[in-house]
Amino acid sequence: MSFFTVSDLSAGYGGRSVIEKLSFHLEEGCVLGILGANGSGKTTLLKAICGILPHGGSCALEGIPLDGLSPRKLARLCGYIPQRSGISIDISVLDVVLMGFNPQLGLLEAPSPKMKQDALRALELTGLAGMAGKNYLHLSEGQKQLCILARTLASGSRLLLLDEPESSLDFRYRYRMLELLRDWTAKGRRAVLTSLHDPSLALNYCDRLLLLTGPDTCRLLLPGSDPLEKMEKELSLIYGSISLHRCRERNGAERLVMLKEKEEEINAGRDENHICG
Amino acid sequence: MNSMKPSMALPTVNSKHLCAAGAALLAALAVVSLLTGKYPLTLEGLLAGDEMQLRVFWNLRASRTAVGIVGGFALGIAGFVYQTVFRNPLASPDVIGVSSGASAGAAAGILFLSGAAQVTLASFAGALAAVGLALALSALDKAGRHSTIVLAGIAVHSLAQTVLMCLKLTADPERELASIEYWIMGSLNAISGYSIKGNLILCLLCIAVLFLMHRQILLLSAEEGEARMLGVSVGRLRLAVLLAATLTVASIVSLSGLISFVGLLAPHGARMLTHRNDAGTMLLGGLLGGIILTAADILARSVSSVELPVSIFTSLLGAPFLIYLIVRGRKET
Repeated sequence: MSFFTVSDLSAGYGGRSVIEKLSFHLEEGCVLGILGANGSGKTTLLKAICGILPHGGSCALEGIPLDGLSPRKLARLCGYIPQRSGISIDISVLDVVLMGFNPQLGLLEAPSPKMKQDALRALELTGLAGMAGKNYLHLSEGQKQLCILARTLASGSRLLLLDEPESSLDFRYRYRMLELLRDWTAKGRRAVLTSLHDPSLALNYCDRLLLLTGPDTCRLLLPGSDPLEKMEKELSLIYGSISLHRCRERNGAERLVMLKEKEEEINAGRDENHICG
Repeated sequence: MNSMKPSMALPTVNSKHLCAAGAALLAALAVVSLLTGKYPLTLEGLLAGDEMQLRVFWNLRASRTAVGIVGGFALGIAGFVYQTVFRNPLASPDVIGVSSGASAGAAAGILFLSGAAQVTLASFAGALAAVGLALALSALDKAGRHSTIVLAGIAVHSLAQTVLMCLKLTADPERELASIEYWIMGSLNAISGYSIKGNLILCLLCIAVLFLMHRQILLLSAEEGEARMLGVSVGRLRLAVLLAATLTVASIVSLSGLISFVGLLAPHGARMLTHRNDAGTMLLGGLLGGIILTAADILARSVSSVELPVSIFTSLLGAPFLIYLIVRGRKET
């Protein structure tokens, strides 16, 4: 049995279906990236799994169906980061992170000192050390995303559902965020499902990629083992004509780089295994 | 708040100091309120056990001052809760029709019942009916959106206004219509000891519940899906919080008539002073509400030989304060 399974998931808005009968599964310790063009249903898929959107089909984590769960039980299993947090009141960064502990607290219970320490540690981890007392609304969009990430990492759930968590981050913190997600996932009985804005990031940090190519078609890529030609072909269904290249970092680690080709040169010959640098 | 050090102690020292100052000011106003009025009271007379002075003190001044403090506090807290839950700085308890329901109830009480206590009860029933209807209507929306509650509130508000208008039409213009109008303008005049206890106890209970639920109220301010994924049963929790907040208002408004501006202004003032929404800010909002209403009531019964509606003074005191805060806020940023 897989760690997390999605079967025949359908969802949409006002009678128009955006995703239809989508099925896939996710193993323990796996980071699955969702790629798709604008409007292809990345957010819809995540919201349907969370149960925020009305949907058909079912999802199960370690055999537990998510649909019948109370918000409290669901939140203990799954953490969700929306594209943009709706927090719009003056509140300290620490208090935002402490919100993540809500599923573990009684209705009237206050967070324990240990939770506060965990929250501060999560802030340090995401690069927001020293910001705990700041007003959340005064942070930059990127810092807000990091703060919400800290909240989600601290909360102790097993499956993270993230909606373009890197979209407002600068170059350095994009990589930092994905590193954090990888480290978090490696700790066992955990998995991450994240839609990503940046395909290069997805190719290098995700174990699997789910490409949303139509309402009822999705393709699965394994960036670590699939041949470049196959991945190029599949990715070009989303991004138009592109080319993939293997490059090496200074320390020798191999990276995949995706370049946008001019549209008329779709079938022009190119060196598939070109190594730059 | 400008320090870079992570501070574990929230609410901040800043809001603690402000709350202490607010409480001191409120206590001072309470003493003034106890000693202000047509019948002169002196400390010596009260201590010496002057029977007439003691009776005026307990039956009139003490209950009136208590309603001023608790009522203002309740309006401030309720305003804080509404603005946070609806994520709208202009939200006030009127949003879901509590004030217009109370007015219609009071008008019905004035027309068909007799005695101040019955009018209070009728007004309380009217407020509850309006809020119950608004929340029941909003429950028809399965998605449970914030906007549905606001729309339902607007519908109930207009309905209650229509009922009020019909009642006014049937009222005798000399006596009943005048007392309906006077009731709507709001005053702490008609309050006397025997009729307020139940309302005050209910009000204080609800305030205590709201303070206990403060953390949950902040969670409701997140976007609905986000709050749900933080483990919040959004619909149920919002219903409970709004009900508690509205009961505090209903229990006060049914005693005092409509009191404008306090519920809107007091929480704003508190937030502009602390730049937070923590429990300290909520407390400060309540204290500011108590200060404004008690001060307004002192003015209402001392500037003229006749008693004036208290709303005149809540607005007169509140508007300059709000303008001061806006100007002060501009300078800072």
